[in-house]
Amino acid sequence: MKRKQNNLSIFRCFYQYLPQLAIIATVSFFGLYQSLAKADDFETTITNAKGQTVYFNAWGGSPAINEYIAWAGERIADEYDITLKHVKLSATSDAVSRILAEKTSGKSTGGSVDLIWINGENFAAMKSHGLLQTDDWAYHLPSFQYTDAKLLPGIKTDFGIPTDGQEAPWGRAQLVFGYDTAYVNTPPRSADQLAQWIIANPGRFSYPKPPDFTGVSFLKQILLETSPTPDMFLEPADQTDPNTALAPLWKWLDQAHPHMRKGGKHFPANYTAMIQMLGDGELAIAFAFNPTEFSNGIAQGILPNTIRSYVHDSGTLANVHFVAVPFNANSPAAAKVVADFLLSPEAQLHKANSDIWGDPTVLAMHKLPPDMQDAFAALPKGIATLNESELGKTLPEFHPSWVSVIEQQWAKRYIGQ
Amino acid sequence: MSIRAVILVLCLAPTTAGLIGAVIPATGWFAPLGRSDFSIKPVIMFLDQPGIWSSIWLSGFTAITATLLSYVLAMFLLASIYRNGRSGVLFRLISPLLSVPHITVAVGFLFLLQPSGWLIRLLSPWLTGWDRPPDLYIIPDEVGIGLIIALTAKELPFLMLMGLSALSQIKVNDTLDQASSLGYGTYSGWLYTVQPQLSSRMRLPVLIVLIFSVSVVDMALVLAPSVPAPLAPRILEWFRDADLDFQFIAAVGAVAQLVLALLCCLIWLLSGRMMTRLIRVLIYHGLRPNLSAWMCQTMRLAVFTVALLPCILSVLGLISVTIWGFADIWRFPDSLPDDWGYRAWISSADNMIVAGTNSLIIGLASSCLAVCLVIIWLEQTASRRQSTIESWLYIPLLLPQASFLFGLQIVLIWLRLDGLYITLIWVHMLFVLPYVMLSLGGSWRQFDQRYTELSATLGASQMKQFFRVKLPILLTPIMTAFAIGFAVSCALYLPTVFASNGRMITLTTEAVTLATSASRQALGVASFLQMILPLIVFLCCDAIIRLRLKPFRHFRH
Repeated sequence: MKRKQNNLSIFRCFYQYLPQLAIIATVSFFGLYQSLAKADDFETTITNAKGQTVYFNAWGGSPAINEYIAWAGERIADEYDITLKHVKLSATSDAVSRILAEKTSGKSTGGSVDLIWINGENFAAMKSHGLLQTDDWAYHLPSFQYTDAKLLPGIKTDFGIPTDGQEAPWGRAQLVFGYDTAYVNTPPRSADQLAQWIIANPGRFSYPKPPDFTGVSFLKQILLETSPTPDMFLEPADQTDPNTALAPLWKWLDQAHPHMRKGGKHFPANYTAMIQMLGDGELAIAFAFNPTEFSNGIAQGILPNTIRSYVHDSGTLANVHFVAVPFNANSPAAAKVVADFLLSPEAQLHKANSDIWGDPTVLAMHKLPPDMQDAFAALPKGIATLNESELGKTLPEFHPSWVSVIEQQWAKRYIGQ
Repeated sequence: MSIRAVILVLCLAPTTAGLIGAVIPATGWFAPLGRSDFSIKPVIMFLDQPGIWSSIWLSGFTAITATLLSYVLAMFLLASIYRNGRSGVLFRLISPLLSVPHITVAVGFLFLLQPSGWLIRLLSPWLTGWDRPPDLYIIPDEVGIGLIIALTAKELPFLMLMGLSALSQIKVNDTLDQASSLGYGTYSGWLYTVQPQLSSRMRLPVLIVLIFSVSVVDMALVLAPSVPAPLAPRILEWFRDADLDFQFIAAVGAVAQLVLALLCCLIWLLSGRMMTRLIRVLIYHGLRPNLSAWMCQTMRLAVFTVALLPCILSVLGLISVTIWGFADIWRFPDSLPDDWGYRAWISSADNMIVAGTNSLIIGLASSCLAVCLVIIWLEQTASRRQSTIESWLYIPLLLPQASFLFGLQIVLIWLRLDGLYITLIWVHMLFVLPYVMLSLGGSWRQFDQRYTELSATLGASQMKQFFRVKLPILLTPIMTAFAIGFAVSCALYLPTVFASNGRMITLTTEAVTLATSASRQALGVASFLQMILPLIVFLCCDAIIRLRLKPFRHFRH
C-alpha cells in the first residue's frame, strides 16, 4: 500500500472551522444511533444497504489488487445488491485531503468517499480531525469474531494509535527482503550484515527515496536494529531528542551509501521501481511490504525464478491495513457491509491466494471453522514465499509522528550534499 | 478589434490570474487557507529546502545548454543544407519527432540508455562482458546530460522548422551568391550575411525553447537527477505535499522559477548581443576564414553526426518502447524479449482507454478551438505584418509553466472550475494557440488577395469569398497547424495536472506516473499509444489534404 505522508500541520489552520464540528457531531450522533445495532442487527444494516453504491477509495497502482477489488465487487453485487465502485487513487492522501476539503466547506452528508483504504499516519490524521465515523462499528461486524486481538494486537492499534473500532482490519503487511540466489549465496540477516554485504558488493543495493513509504519503512527497520533503545519509537517523537534518537541510522547510512547503487546519490522512486531493478539484475537484494511480493514478481515475469525471500533474524517491521468510513459517507450502511465482506473468511481466503493478491489474512486460524482452516492451509504458495514460522518475529510500527522527523532529517543530510 | 479583444482576454486572463495567484501566496498571504498575514517566512522556508541552490543551478544549466546546443546545431544544419535544396529531405526525416510528446522521447531514452537499457543489452555480454547491468551513473546522470540530449532531440526539429519558415522570408541564395563573389565561403558568408537576419527572426522561437527547458517537468522526472531534482519537478512535489506549509514553498518556488527564466533569457539575449558585436568586428576586418574543401566536408560530417545523434537515439528509444509494449518477459542481457505477447495491453486496457479518450477529446477540441480563434484573429488583422498585440498571445509560452499554473489552479478551485473538461480544454488552448499562430500566421499573411478579389468581382459575398475561396486554398497550412496543435496538446503534462486538480488522466499523465513506478510493459503500452495518437492525427490531416487536392493534381508540376 502506498501512502503519501500527511503531515499533521496540514490541519492546523483548519481549527478555525471547529464550529462546524457541531454539524459533524449531529451527523455522528445519527451514525452512533445507526450502529447501536449489534451483530444481530447487522441484518438491518444489510437490508438498508440494498441498492446503494459504495465509492471505495483505494490506491490503484497494483493490477493484482485492482483485480481483487473487482472480484469483491462482483461478489458483493450478487450477495447484497450493492454496487462497489473502485476509485483508484495514486496516493491515499489525495482522498484524505478531499474529505478534509469537504469538511471545511461544510459538506457533512453526501460525501464523495464511502470507504477508504488507510492505516498509520493517514488514519491518525483522519481520526484526530474527526473525519471518520466515530462509533466503534468495526468491532460489531459479524466477521470481526474471527479475529484475535491478543494474537495480532495490530488489529486494534494502528501504528500505536488505538483504532477504537473506527476502521476495520483488512490485511497484513510485513517487511520482507528478496535476494537473487544467482548472485548472493547467503543473504545478510541483520542490519550490520547488510551493511557489510553492501560494502562487499558495491552498486547492488538501493532503497526507495524517502518520503516514499517503503523507503521510510526500510529506514525504520534499520533504526530498530541499530538503536540501543528501540522502544522510544513507540512514543511520540517530541518526547525525545530526535538527533540522538536517529544518530545510529545516519551512522549506518553514511557507512553504506557510498557503496550503494550510483554511489547512493540516486534512488529508485518507489518499491515497484526497485523490484524492477532486482529483476534486471541491477540490484541483488530488494525488499517489499508484502510477503508474497517476490513470488508474484516471478509469476508476472518481472523477476527471474532465482529470487527467494528472507527476513532479518531480529524480526521485521509489520503492520495491519484497514478500511474506514468517512464521517460524511453517502452510503455508510453499504460501506460497512462491504467492510464486513472484505473481512469475511471467503474474501480473506481469496486475498491470501498468491495467484490473486497474496496479502496475508488478519483472521485468527483457531477461530475459523475447520473447513476454512484447511482451505487456508491448502493455499498455493509461491516458491519465493516464506511460511508463517519462517516469517518469524514481527517488529511494532513507530508512532506516526516519527515519519516526518525521519523524512526531514534524511532530506537535510542527503539531498544536495 | 472587439473579437480580438475577446481572444486576448481568453488567453491572458488565466495567465494573469495565475501569476497573481502565485505571487500573493509567496508573500505568506493566503486567505482561502486561513493565512492573512504578509511575511517573509515562505521565502525563508524555500531557501531552507535542502539542496535548493543545486536545484536552481541544475534547471538553469540544463536549460541554457540544451537551448544553445539545439540552436547552434539547427543553424549549422540550415547553413549546410539550405542552399543545395536538400533541406526538405532532412526535414522530412526529423519532422516526425516534432509530433512525439516530450515524455515519450524521455521514456525512449530511459529504455535505451539506462544501465539495463537496450543499448547495453545489445552489446552484452559478447562485447562488454557484463551479464548484469553495470553500476554506471547514466540516465539519469548526475549533471543532467541525459536531459540535455533529450531536450535537444525535441527542440532541434522545432527550431529547424522555425528556421526554414524564417529563411523563406530572406533572400538567402542572392545574399550568399553575392558573399561568395566577394570571396566568402559557405559558412562565413552565411555567418556574415544570413545569420544576422535569421537570428532576429528566431528570437521568439528560441526564447520559447529556453523557457520551456527551464520549466520542463515530465522529462526531468525521468531523466534528471533526483537528489536533488531540478527546480520544476520539486515545485510540483511541494505543491502535491499534503502539508499546508508546502503550498507556500511551492508558491515561492513558482516565483523563483519565473526569476530564473528571466535571468536565463537575459543571459541569452546579452550573449547574443556580444556575438553580434564579435561578428561585426570580424566583418569589419574582412576576415575570410577560407576552409579547404576537405575541411568543409569534415566539418559538415561532424555537424551532421552531432545533430543527428540525439534524433537517432530518440528513434532507437522509441523502437525499444514499442518492443517493451509487446514483451511479456525480457531479461537482461537478452537483446530481444524472451516471450512476446500482449499481456500488458490487456491488463492496462481500462486505464488506457480512459486516458486515450481524454487525450483525444481534449486534443481535438483545444486545437479546433485554437485554429478557429487564430483564423478569426488573422482575418480581423488588416495589416500583413505581425502587430505588437499579437505577440501578447505568446505570453503563456514565455512564462515558465509552473509560475502561473500553480496560481491558476487556486483560482480555478476558488471558482469551482477545476477538474472540468471545459476547463482543461481552455487551459490546453492557451498553449496550443501560440503554436498554431506560429504555424499558420505566415501562410495566412502570404495569401494572394487577388483570389478573393477576383471572386468578389464575380459577385461572391464576403462569406462565400472566405469559405469557398480562401479556406480551401489555405487548407494545407490549416490542417498542418491543426495537427501541430494536437501534438502540442497531447504532450502537455503540467497544465493537465494543474487544471484537472490531478483527477483527470491523459496518456501523458499516465506515462509520467508509470515512468517512475510500475512495469516497463505498461509504460511501453502508454508510450506507444502516445506516439501513435498524434501520428494518426497527422496522417488523417494529410489524407484530408490529399483527398481535397486530388481533383487539382493535374495543375501541379
